[in-house]
Amino acid sequence: MFSGDELKTNNLFSIHAFGQEIPISDTIVMTWIIMAVLIILSVVFTRNMKKIPVGKQSVTEIVVEGINGVIKSTMGHHWKSFAPYFGTVFLFLIVANMSSLFNLFPSAETLYFITGNEYFENCAQFSIVPPTKDINLALALAIISIVLIPISGIRYKGLGGWLKSFLKPMPMMLPFNILDYGTRILSLTLRLFGNILAGFVIMELLYQGALFVKPLIPIASAFFDLFDAGLQSYIFVFLSSMYIAEVIE
Amino acid sequence: MDLSGLYAIGAGLAMMAALGAGIGLGVASGGAMQGVARNPEASGKIMTTGLIFATLSEVTAIFGFVISIMLISKI
Repeated sequence: MFSGDELKTNNLFSIHAFGQEIPISDTIVMTWIIMAVLIILSVVFTRNMKKIPVGKQSVTEIVVEGINGVIKSTMGHHWKSFAPYFGTVFLFLIVANMSSLFNLFPSAETLYFITGNEYFENCAQFSIVPPTKDINLALALAIISIVLIPISGIRYKGLGGWLKSFLKPMPMMLPFNILDYGTRILSLTLRLFGNILAGFVIMELLYQGALFVKPLIPIASAFFDLFDAGLQSYIFVFLSSMYIAEVIE
Repeated sequence: MDLSGLYAIGAGLAMMAALGAGIGLGVASGGAMQGVARNPEASGKIMTTGLIFATLSEVTAIFGFVISIMLISKI
């Protein structure tokens, strides 16, 4: 049953630094794992690059050209300085959202339930869950994207040009344009967080459900863990690139 | 007096937001279907833009879902 546990983060251990105790939750550990996976994959896939692509290099080129194409279609001719950032965010989000597919290892709780070994009762409860179901990570990603809007506006249009963008399409819209910066953070955060959390809660309910709902699990998993996860990462990148394109065009 | 049952009723009512999202999804996919029927060559482009706008209209249901989860976890 749903008990609100899905909303809470699970503190695994804490680090003593600067005279303070910094709790490390499973969201942060999952983020570290995803960062390690992405760094290792990017090093492996970009080694020994040749002029004529073979094997893994052609896969890399398809991915990079796909991301470049999306950014080019939304941002126009300034795409080159933004494509690396949005590509990184997209790859991070797609691995993060799909990470519940890789939840192959039983958690310590399950092991204790099966074996009855007391060692498992007291060790850290860690299982691979999508880190984006924590609202803090979604909020952090949204804030990065929103902070990029004034920075890129000032860089490509100058301070005056960016301030003038508040008066578009007419001066009457000034309060709404200021409000936009707040509501965009809210909608980017809640869209990502809510979709992933909804998929996670529904999948948990199905896993614990009665026997006759078990055949539904593969279908629901394909929808929530593959389709919805990919779509949400695409939407996040698409919307934040559209917000920036609005300012610099 | 124990009022925690009202949280549950509120959580259920918050999911009324799914009504609007359903109507929005219906309108968006209906428009996409009409576009494909009139111009079958553009089906790929219509598919991607249709998905984007379907997700945009879905966000109202997500807001309701987040609020209902906040209420449920208070019980």
